[in-house]
Amino acid sequence: MPLMRHSNEVREMAGELGKYKLCVSARSADKAILKRAQDGGIVTQLFKFALEEGIIEGAIVAGPGDEPWRPRPFIATTVEELMSASGTKYNISPQVSWIKEATRSYGLDKIGIVGTPCQMQAVRKGQLYPVGLRDVPDKIKLAIGIFCMENFSYQSVKQLVEDHAAMKMEAVKKMEIGKGKFWVYGQRGQVVQLPLKVTHKYEQPGCHVCLDYVANLADVSTGSVGSPDGWSTVFVRTRNGDDIWSKAIAAGCFETKPIEQVKPGLELVTKLATEKITKNQKTVEERAKFGVNKSLRNPYLGPK
Amino acid sequence: MAETIKKEEKPVADKITVGHVHMSGCTGCLVSLADNYGGLLTILDKYADLVYGLTLADVRHIPKMDVALVEGSVCIQDKISVQEIKETREKAAVVVAVGGCACYGNITRFTRGGQQNQPQHESYLPVGDLIKVDVYIPGCAPCPQLIRNVCVMAYLLLKGNKDQQELAKKYLTPLMLLADRGTEACGCDLMYDVVNQGLCMGCGSCAAACPVRAITHEYGKPNVNREMCIKCGACYAQCPRSFFNFDVIPEFEGIMDAIDAALK
Amino acid sequence: MSKIVEISPTTRHEGHSKLVLKVDDAGIIERGDWLSITPVRGVEKLALGKTMDQVPKIASRVCGICPIAHTLAGIESMEGSIRCEIPKDAKLLRIILQSANRLHSHALHNILTLPDMYLPGTDTKINPFSPQEPVRSVAKRIQRIREIGQTIGEIAGGEAVHPSNPRVGGMYKACTAHAKTKMYDLAKEGLVLAHEQMDFMIAILRNYQKRDWAEVGGKQIPIPKTLGYHNQGYMAAHPMYGSSNLDDCPGWNPDRWTDVRPWDWYMGEGEVSLADPGYPIGGTSPVGTKVNPQMEACTGVPLYDGSPVEVGPRARLVQFKNYDEKGTIGQQIARQMEYPDCLYTILNALDDYNPNGKILADHIPQGDGSLGWAANEAPRGCDVHLAKVKDGRVLYYEMLVPTTWNFPTCSRALTGAPWQLAEVIVRGYDPCVSCATHMIVIDEDKRLVAQKLIQ
Repeated sequence: MPLMRHSNEVREMAGELGKYKLCVSARSADKAILKRAQDGGIVTQLFKFALEEGIIEGAIVAGPGDEPWRPRPFIATTVEELMSASGTKYNISPQVSWIKEATRSYGLDKIGIVGTPCQMQAVRKGQLYPVGLRDVPDKIKLAIGIFCMENFSYQSVKQLVEDHAAMKMEAVKKMEIGKGKFWVYGQRGQVVQLPLKVTHKYEQPGCHVCLDYVANLADVSTGSVGSPDGWSTVFVRTRNGDDIWSKAIAAGCFETKPIEQVKPGLELVTKLATEKITKNQKTVEERAKFGVNKSLRNPYLGPK
Repeated sequence: MAETIKKEEKPVADKITVGHVHMSGCTGCLVSLADNYGGLLTILDKYADLVYGLTLADVRHIPKMDVALVEGSVCIQDKISVQEIKETREKAAVVVAVGGCACYGNITRFTRGGQQNQPQHESYLPVGDLIKVDVYIPGCAPCPQLIRNVCVMAYLLLKGNKDQQELAKKYLTPLMLLADRGTEACGCDLMYDVVNQGLCMGCGSCAAACPVRAITHEYGKPNVNREMCIKCGACYAQCPRSFFNFDVIPEFEGIMDAIDAALK
Repeated sequence: MSKIVEISPTTRHEGHSKLVLKVDDAGIIERGDWLSITPVRGVEKLALGKTMDQVPKIASRVCGICPIAHTLAGIESMEGSIRCEIPKDAKLLRIILQSANRLHSHALHNILTLPDMYLPGTDTKINPFSPQEPVRSVAKRIQRIREIGQTIGEIAGGEAVHPSNPRVGGMYKACTAHAKTKMYDLAKEGLVLAHEQMDFMIAILRNYQKRDWAEVGGKQIPIPKTLGYHNQGYMAAHPMYGSSNLDDCPGWNPDRWTDVRPWDWYMGEGEVSLADPGYPIGGTSPVGTKVNPQMEACTGVPLYDGSPVEVGPRARLVQFKNYDEKGTIGQQIARQMEYPDCLYTILNALDDYNPNGKILADHIPQGDGSLGWAANEAPRGCDVHLAKVKDGRVLYYEMLVPTTWNFPTCSRALTGAPWQLAEVIVRGYDPCVSCATHMIVIDEDKRLVAQKLIQ
């Protein structure tokens, strides 16, 4: 019996951008959402539509936690709760930890979840191999993935902001990775840009074996890369995602532009995806000969 | 009764035969199987004849079967149990360890004998320590949908066309590799085999999977309350960094549709 | 002259058990012994030294059919020991969980017991898995009732099989208003189905009662009108939920409980002298098989006021509703009569439940070693756990589970029945043998150990 396929073989199978039915540049048609949005307000808008239409009864989002910019996963069942979670936090929010509770004490039959590519992988693994997720697999009704080069621990973000950018965490208005820089915007209007090479040491180690940049396994995935400021690139991937997206478009939730007509467009997305996957593929290979005749684990080859 | 069933209704020729072998378990795994509700009836109508299972059928001795679903660990001071598990291996083409006890010992890992009136019953071993086990379904209780998926895949493996067999093989591979991995499990695996290995990315799957709420996340990484952990193996098996098979999981939409259609 | 017949293992119930029956020339049981052959996992002993939070989670895993009873009795015996009162809304969630579990368990028992019964007006026994009507509709209804019970249990209790939500001091999570509505809707649907199922089962059981014979292994076996009669008493702590030492008027009394050896209650050494290879399926044990229930069943036999008692649905109905029908069918009918109240109790508890209420005690004492107990009315009878907790750790733990109470009582109820119907009587108790870990068949070498223990 063959073992699992080698991961670069897999990459060739799916392509860097994964399978998708549709790719556009889009932004929410709702000014209130755009005002608080990281980019085009795609996640908030799509969940809002799904909630209002009864496609989902609640969504697992990353809301404000105990400390400034520390996210806490929670289940939003109202538009107000959804809005409170908008914006990217750039550190870990264990979204999947709520996926079963949503079906238990929250009593949800139709769940939305937003997360990074690895979290989308966790969700799909959980649907096909629900080891400890009884009665969860058929209740995931909308999984939105966000593009992700890597994630950070809270302490990492704190050091980037407080040491490198010389700003207090609670004084930060927005953080962003784009145009090859880590941007920190202060409440008082100051803007600090850090070169990405500064951020590298702070990256979460587990991200270095990740072979997915654009959340290939989401129903709909989105991120700023590829689209102009204030817009987001959107991949509609699954039949289910396509269904919801079309309804949202028909309802006038989004303004869209063909991805071919925007700058920098898919070329940049492909470039970054290729860079990430190539680099991390190399890491996976290096791990195989990390010690002296000793390997580090490769999850893509099995659980041993 | 089962005899009359056989007389009255000729079993569908290409069904597989399945048995439920009960070692020292709690029958919660069988309840999970039954918790496929209407789906269980469809499985029995179309895909599997239940040829053994003391709780559900009158057959008193282990017959030959295609798939044995074994629940519970084995008390090595109980001759009947040891004999029955060996017999199961001889009689079944595929042995599936269902649930934490069969896979990893689960709460019977804490047993240390000394209780009236069998104080010598102190050693319980996961099934894999006594016989070769082919497929693992960890968790306590295991999830009905995973048991269902394994049953459907076992059917495809044994009775399907070439493509179906290929899919079933790919699907079952990680669960077979889990069986190869060994008979020890604990919340500590999250540390040993994920965090310590530089693989954790803080998705939270382990906490969701834990059936005793022993796992929390502290700044995005798991903390296991070891005085709650029951050693069922669900957290590690659920972790996308324990195994992630790129040749199966990305096909989730098609596979889930196919399973749904099979159970209609 | 009496002969001995052994049915091993018995089927269509939880766990491993066997029957050793002394029968007369007509095959009528003069004395029957029913005993477990499930290995002792020793939960009471492994609990010692562990935390009061973990032990109920382990105790739950003694049984997958009544894990709710073990979780709740375990937790409440700890709370009884540390003297911790839980908030009202936590209690309501536990009541919902309890009732939902009973609903599912009774429905599951229907599947196990139907194959002994006949379709009214026919001589055809019921195969619950048959795709033929009318059976298929019944099977679907049973599965839907179970699904409703398990889903409500999952929402209130966190998991359908081993509930994760209950904890010492209350519950981990409150159910939201949305979850409350979902449970309410499910319970309303369940109520209609439960009434239908109750009526169906009672008709089936009454039909069996009217029959003169039942077919077993190709033979027509006469059904005595006194099938399953016994003269033992009944014990129940509460119609639906349970009781603990924290109650103002406790429904159970530890002073009335004695644990004795099986010496007085089981037969001595013997040899199988009657065998029927045609007994379904696989036959009874061959002639010459050595049996020794008195030695093999080295259990603690729990007595209440000095004698074995019956626990379960009929015990609850006798105790609280003056129900008076004896025998196996009377016992089975009592079980069906409990269907609607599972749902009425859920609906009432939901009416009272406040999703924003407190679900965890403000202060959870760590215990000074005092005795606490909780008697939970599991689907198959009163499940009593006793515990002593000191500094958060368990010093003493005892589980008196329903089937342990019922083993000696049921053994008495076998007398007077044809041996071929002994399993029908056993199944009337809805036994859960893995719970009743106190009894075991042992081999030659280990008898000495048991003997020393007994003497």
